[in-house]
Amino acid sequence: MRVSAIGLVLLACWMVYLDAVVTSRFEGRRFEVPSRVYARPLELYDGAGVSSGSLERELALAGYRKGDGVKPGSYRRNGGHFIISTRGFRFPDGSEPRRTLSLNIYGDRIQGFSVSSGESAAIVRLEPARIGGIYPAHKEDRILVRLEEVPQLLPKALMAVEDRNFYSHFGIAPASIGRAMLANMRAGQIVQGGSTLTQQLVKNFFLTRDQTLLRKGNEALMSILLEWHYEKDDILETYLNEVYLGQAGTRSINGFGLASQFYFGESLKDLDVHQIALLVGMVKGPSYYNPRRHPERATQRRNLVISEMEDAGLIDSAKAARARGLSLGVSAKPSYSENRYPAYIDLVRRHLARDYKEADLRSEGLRIFTTLNPAIQYAAEYAVTDTLPRLASGEVGKALEATLVVTAKDSGEVLALVGGKDPQFAGFNRALDANRPIGSLIKPFTYLTALEQPDRYTLMTPLLDKSFTLEFDDGRRWQPKNYDGEERGEVPLHRALSKSYNLPAVRVGLDLGVPAVIKTMRAFGVVTPISEYPSMLLGSVAMSPVTVAQIYQGLATSGFNTPLRTIREVTDSAGGALSRYNLEVDQVADPAAVHLLQYAMQETMQEGTGRSAYYSVPKELTLAGKTGTTDDGRDSWFAGFSGDLLAVAWVGRDDNGPTALTGATGALPVWSRFMAQVPQHGFSPVVPDGVSYHWVNPEKQALTDEYCDNARLLPFISGSEPTQRVSCSGTLERKIRGWFEGLFQ
Amino acid sequence: MSRQGVFQVGMLVALLSLAGCATGPGGSIYVPAGGSERAPEPPQTTEGNDEAQVWRKSEQTENREPEQQPQRSSKPSYQDAGDALSPAALSLVREADTLLKSGDAQGAIVRLERAQRIAPRSAEVYFKLSEAYVAGNKLGPAEQFTLKGLSLAGSDTRLQRAGWLLLADIRRARGNLAGASQAEERAAAL
Repeated sequence: MRVSAIGLVLLACWMVYLDAVVTSRFEGRRFEVPSRVYARPLELYDGAGVSSGSLERELALAGYRKGDGVKPGSYRRNGGHFIISTRGFRFPDGSEPRRTLSLNIYGDRIQGFSVSSGESAAIVRLEPARIGGIYPAHKEDRILVRLEEVPQLLPKALMAVEDRNFYSHFGIAPASIGRAMLANMRAGQIVQGGSTLTQQLVKNFFLTRDQTLLRKGNEALMSILLEWHYEKDDILETYLNEVYLGQAGTRSINGFGLASQFYFGESLKDLDVHQIALLVGMVKGPSYYNPRRHPERATQRRNLVISEMEDAGLIDSAKAARARGLSLGVSAKPSYSENRYPAYIDLVRRHLARDYKEADLRSEGLRIFTTLNPAIQYAAEYAVTDTLPRLASGEVGKALEATLVVTAKDSGEVLALVGGKDPQFAGFNRALDANRPIGSLIKPFTYLTALEQPDRYTLMTPLLDKSFTLEFDDGRRWQPKNYDGEERGEVPLHRALSKSYNLPAVRVGLDLGVPAVIKTMRAFGVVTPISEYPSMLLGSVAMSPVTVAQIYQGLATSGFNTPLRTIREVTDSAGGALSRYNLEVDQVADPAAVHLLQYAMQETMQEGTGRSAYYSVPKELTLAGKTGTTDDGRDSWFAGFSGDLLAVAWVGRDDNGPTALTGATGALPVWSRFMAQVPQHGFSPVVPDGVSYHWVNPEKQALTDEYCDNARLLPFISGSEPTQRVSCSGTLERKIRGWFEGLFQ
Repeated sequence: MSRQGVFQVGMLVALLSLAGCATGPGGSIYVPAGGSERAPEPPQTTEGNDEAQVWRKSEQTENREPEQQPQRSSKPSYQDAGDALSPAALSLVREADTLLKSGDAQGAIVRLERAQRIAPRSAEVYFKLSEAYVAGNKLGPAEQFTLKGLSLAGSDTRLQRAGWLLLADIRRARGNLAGASQAEERAAAL
């Protein structure tokens, strides 16, 4: 008697404890939902630059299927003609409704774009591809759904298969337990569950997976408590979001919302009978019935569920027969693979860390809209992995690493980031963390500082290409040399830059003063300390590839700094705006001087150290850029831009060992391989106010005629152009040829 | 200068921009990938290519410098004015206009940034952004976007004048009277 009284008291205490466990978890936020990271949405409109192949890849990445182009989320392609049925998407700035689009792709451009059904528009955004997530420690991934959004058939089918009396029991169903116990005793092992949906939820939510009696007891008690406190619909909805339905690497697929995306690439509300049946069937054993790995087993299980649905009167026999006849309808692969772009996501996370706590990112289900352009990323990864093996062989070849950073020239959006030769490797991110001397990439900043003084320097100012020795106070000496060891006497400024001669660059830098060059670099966004030693004029200063991309942004855009961004918006899980990262521009240099510099950087590509780019790039694509090499080929750099894109490539070894590469033979092939793959506009800067072009003879420092030998069309800041004129001794024949060349070019 | 006044000039810019959209210079040259429509698509790396790669001689990257060619002056690429707005960008600018009229400056900025992404070399888009920032009473960014627009206006005196006048108004509203009259002089000199 006393023992049972003590037992009752203990049980009561235990119940109180369990009650607290149940309610505290249920009252608070029930799920830690990972943040979702999206690529930029593809904009479709007349004139948009996209190839058929990259459109098709983009559609696949956003979970579209090749099909009739009628069902939302499907498309039809016939050569360059596409019919696309969009699913619609809720963007932070408003919804894109469902539409059917028709378009042609010709010459890597969209033509004849029209909306054949749905709200008309001149420009439409596809749903953005999901490219990653920021997960809670337990790595559970889910897309929360509300009961009222779920197709009615799903909970009904679930109940028909797992728990027929869900709406009438009080958490446990003794009759089912009895039946299960009988079956288990007969078999000598546990073969049947007999658990209600509530018990299954309790088991997953609060308890371990051990099949012990004590755990069973707790499960029953907690189920009763849960039912006592909460509505049936509340419990059911939680179950739909909790249930484990698969695994993708270390990430677990929980809840029907995500499972629908994961297995079919479709939204739960769009699923057909046979798809719902498969998901319901998988509850019993997601890995055993994995439809991708064990399609036959999964089909059998699905068909069993369809029959149960038929028996329960949820579907008629004709519908059931039709559903049984269908294939599983599972997408070939998950519509996105996790960690596909580790280097890029790494940069996104660092940008997020400025405004968000890690714990919130892991649990609040935020939606993060990035600037990643999957087509550009694809081309960038390909350029790195395809080019690197050709650059060197043997031990050096094995040790070679490369990075590529690509941004949109005028918006500063980071479109692609490759952090190493294995783009899938989520380790050391060279694009962000490898700080390496930039070599000759520094020269444009020296020459820009010079060109901002038009009374002293123009593009044709003769510079001395002659060696000299600097002696410091402490007795150390510094004797810079040209890369080829030659000296040319005098060279005009534009050629000194395009051919990347060291001696004139150092002389100009010393003439202006190292602090003046540092000041220019600071204006363009260098925040790290820069040594004032003259060797900085040959790029002894170390930077990461992303920082180089940042400081070249201003050179590419006529002197406007544009902060690099990877994130456009962050919203909460309901779509409410949390942060927006707006486009910013900040003029830091005289556009006229930058225009002159851009001339010399174009010359680099046509006549200078960058000209081998045109081995792979179409010659119509005008480019501007600069090579960079450090001692013994330890760093090979190329930074340059077209009309649309700015890209920075680096090639070198992690151990900082020597290579036989220069900027032109290491980084440039990677860079140009990338540029050659992307349809884009050539670089063609607008002539700013106060700049005019003149035909000049740089050797003679004088204006001349177009048809003369050595004539060159150079931009000058007004007032700095030469005043004297030389005419050439060209024959009439040569003059006529000159005129016709001009006519037909 | 009141915000209202700045805004009025902004509207002037808007009118000019939209009126001028149909004409304008050809703009930058678009080059398809690899120079031809049938440029080979890179293989699908997602498929996991296990086959040993074969390098053809024709695909080898040349490690040597190209042969020295006779010194020949290359033609620099430049243009006299920025690109004209495409119909797609124009539709976004119009949406932005509607939002601006309803007082939603941030909504307008979002539309205009979309327009800027597809028409990054069009002065009009930047002037419009400036107008939206003026409406949101953020004159710092407004001034910068006006300068950016001006850097793309090139020889288009209509755009130049609109830009300089807008800049003058913004500078005056920020208390930079010297800068304002300088901008006005630039407009008058056109």
